[in-house]
Amino acid sequence: MKRLFITTMVIAAIAFTACNSGNTSHEAHEHDSTTAAAGETAKAEAVGDNTPPTAVQPQFSNIDPKVAASLKTVVARYLQIKNGLAADNSGEAASNGKAMAEAMQQLDKSALTPEQQKVYTENEEDLKEHAEHIGKNEGNIDHQREHFAQMSEDVYALVKAYGGGQPLYHDFCPMYDNNKGALWLSETKEVKNPYFGNKMPDCGVVKEEIK
Amino acid sequence: MKKFRIILWILLAVVVLIQFVRPAENRSVQADRGDITTMYTMPDSVHTILKNACYDCHSNSTHYPWYAQVQPFGWWLAMHIRDGKKELNFSEYASYSTKRQRSKLKSIKKQIDKGEMPLWSYTLAHPKARLTAAQKKAIINWTDSVL
Repeated sequence: MKRLFITTMVIAAIAFTACNSGNTSHEAHEHDSTTAAAGETAKAEAVGDNTPPTAVQPQFSNIDPKVAASLKTVVARYLQIKNGLAADNSGEAASNGKAMAEAMQQLDKSALTPEQQKVYTENEEDLKEHAEHIGKNEGNIDHQREHFAQMSEDVYALVKAYGGGQPLYHDFCPMYDNNKGALWLSETKEVKNPYFGNKMPDCGVVKEEIK
Repeated sequence: MKKFRIILWILLAVVVLIQFVRPAENRSVQADRGDITTMYTMPDSVHTILKNACYDCHSNSTHYPWYAQVQPFGWWLAMHIRDGKKELNFSEYASYSTKRQRSKLKSIKKQIDKGEMPLWSYTLAHPKARLTAAQKKAIINWTDSVL
């Protein structure tokens, strides 16, 4: 119990300092913001706060309508997890994490073309695991956010391939994880940071709009 | 008093009987072709740390302590090993999707850094699994080198 307390305090301290020190170095960290999933686009650009987001079209346009509907549900759950975390609501994130894992079960992969399947299988097991972990970790919002950061990379890859069933914004928070940064997707252009919640709600930049 | 003795006898009988219900041991028959060391270069020192501190629950071969032969402790261990392997199995790491491999590396780094793994209860009985600061750093540096 004592250990747990100390660990919590240390994490809290780190998170707190990261927020404060981050504010000044916001611009500086913009350039080393390339995450694996952001890949080719992030490398080419160095988006400042005022640059309008790049408009991006999904890779595939001929998605089976049933799969598209399943994907839309998965994305909807993702957005609810995101909104839960942005509101520091661990329970909301957890219930939607569980629901996301279930929604993924409903998706009929066989209706996808082989090329489309490839993208899905690449992300499937990883995404499902993150969803389950977010579901299991109600009350441990820091851990949920760790999984959310990785989950966002998977969802980003899926949305870039198939679209999200609605226009989505690809946002980036340069300060998360000791200034390594992390991306997330949002249905609104207004930034609401899911990594820091109420501590820093408007930290982040919009990088792309995925139609 | 007589009643008390009967209960005691029944308890003893249960304890004896459960000894016959033994979980299958976690030992792979063939060499683990999917081991994480087949994917990445890993210094022997790091591999030794992983074997000592992680492989009991996160691989296909467990070194069992003596009390694993005693039930219900053996059941309890089997449950931990099952959950541990589901979460991360170094012996089958190569079969994970690329995305999942990267996620696992990141999680390993985080869990070690925060001291959440190896489990505190596990280190009680396994002194070799109590990682020193230098050992933790070795693991973290290694994950950074392959990520």
